[in-house]
Amino acid sequence: MVARSVSPTTFAPETRAVAIELVDVSKVFGGPSGVKALDRVSFEVGEREFVSILGPSGCGKSTLLRLIAGLMPFEGERLSLGGEDVSGPMDDVGVVFQTANLLPWRTVEANLKLGAEIHGRKTPGDRLSALVETLGLTGFEARHPHELSGGMKQRVAIGQALVRNPNVLLLDEPFGALDALTRDKLNVELLRIWQAERKTVVLVTHSIPEAVLLSDRVLVMSGRPGRLLEDVSIDLPRPRTPRETRASGDFGRYVVRLGELMGVV
Amino acid sequence: MKSGTVANILQGVVFFALLGVVWEASVHVFEIRSYLLPPLSAVVGELVSSRALLWQHFWITLNEVVLGFLVAAVSGVVMAASVFFIPVARRTIYPLLIGLQSIPKVGLAPLIVVWFGYGLSSKVIMSFLFAFFPIVIATLGGLGSTPQHLEEHFRALRATPWVTFWKLRVPSALPSFVDGCKVAMPLAVIGAVVGEFVGSNEGLGNLILLATSSSRGSLTFAALGAVTAMSLLLFAVVAAFGRLVWWRAQ
Repeated sequence: MVARSVSPTTFAPETRAVAIELVDVSKVFGGPSGVKALDRVSFEVGEREFVSILGPSGCGKSTLLRLIAGLMPFEGERLSLGGEDVSGPMDDVGVVFQTANLLPWRTVEANLKLGAEIHGRKTPGDRLSALVETLGLTGFEARHPHELSGGMKQRVAIGQALVRNPNVLLLDEPFGALDALTRDKLNVELLRIWQAERKTVVLVTHSIPEAVLLSDRVLVMSGRPGRLLEDVSIDLPRPRTPRETRASGDFGRYVVRLGELMGVV
Repeated sequence: MKSGTVANILQGVVFFALLGVVWEASVHVFEIRSYLLPPLSAVVGELVSSRALLWQHFWITLNEVVLGFLVAAVSGVVMAASVFFIPVARRTIYPLLIGLQSIPKVGLAPLIVVWFGYGLSSKVIMSFLFAFFPIVIATLGGLGSTPQHLEEHFRALRATPWVTFWKLRVPSALPSFVDGCKVAMPLAVIGAVVGEFVGSNEGLGNLILLATSSSRGSLTFAALGAVTAMSLLLFAVVAAFGRLVWWRAQ
């Protein structure tokens, strides 16, 4: 196990193994003379850490997530998950995208089973029912996606990522297309799931309050080509709830600071 | 407005009844000779009195159409999948297909009869030729329209190409395939009838030719009615199957 070397002075209160490591990762689209989307991005994510990537639209944060998910080849030094070099999608990773990737011809339950089914495995019934309950989908198991609201669809998509119990969750603005109220609700659920199951989470978002509310650390990115500007630790007490956490003065200070870094305040 | 209410059904019934009355009356009023346009009553009478004959020919044509359509559906899907997945096929067979499609198929009919004879096979081939292309094009479109985000999802789930094909591409393409079948079904009927026109000794197309050349207008119309009924019936069957594929992948 490799300890993360953040504070060289004393022992960190929690020494974590590195779950995700990026060293000088770049991405150019369309050949050598193409568009540079990411420019030498380096960071580490500790095991069970909740890290948000924050940046303006078009800064390559979604691309970054796709690189970590192994959905695109990258250029650069090193990109590894759990010490293993990423060369393609990995089994221990669940990905949730902005559009819920549901098959319209499958019911909620059949959509949740898809991931296991693809590899010729069965989803244990108790795991499925527990998940359905956690996500507040009870009673909707036999519905088809077109019968669900946007928030419901996104819950199913999160369920698809959770059902195989991966250690790493990669979330690409999963709540970006939802209204504020639904977004809050799903944030609460995400916090609860993360606190209960302690997964490593990387969340891409353009919402500053969302990033502060959920994360241990927020990585701020610049506009194109995407570079890492700042690595901000969010030292707010847990467990957090939208109501109480947002009411605290520290929350506001983090929001203002991140806003300044992004150039919006 | 509900389409199933009694008043709405009545509107349709009244309209078609009026159309029938106008037909019947104008034949009598303008004294049109029956080989040009028989009165509706004569056509209905013919449908009853010649029902055995009509049924016999109906059955023959139906057989040709169904066979031609099924061959077109199966080979159309195979062709579309080959062109979609095999780059060599896309560069060679596909242009050939487009070229062949541009030949007026009616013009091919005499040749098909010379090649395959007066019997069943030449009609099945004509029916096939009419139905094949719409099915290929529609299925090809369906295969190409698999949503990109779902493809990415399957990649993230580490699905093999084979699994992606069966669990994603096939269901995504099915609605387009059904659309293609709906277009192709009436065309298959036309194909068989054209084949019968050009060279045959049975089938509804043949009956239409015989009835017209012997000035039996009422039989001509009765046979036409039978072909139309067949076309509608077969379309309804395809549409019923199509309802099983209710989704549209977005």
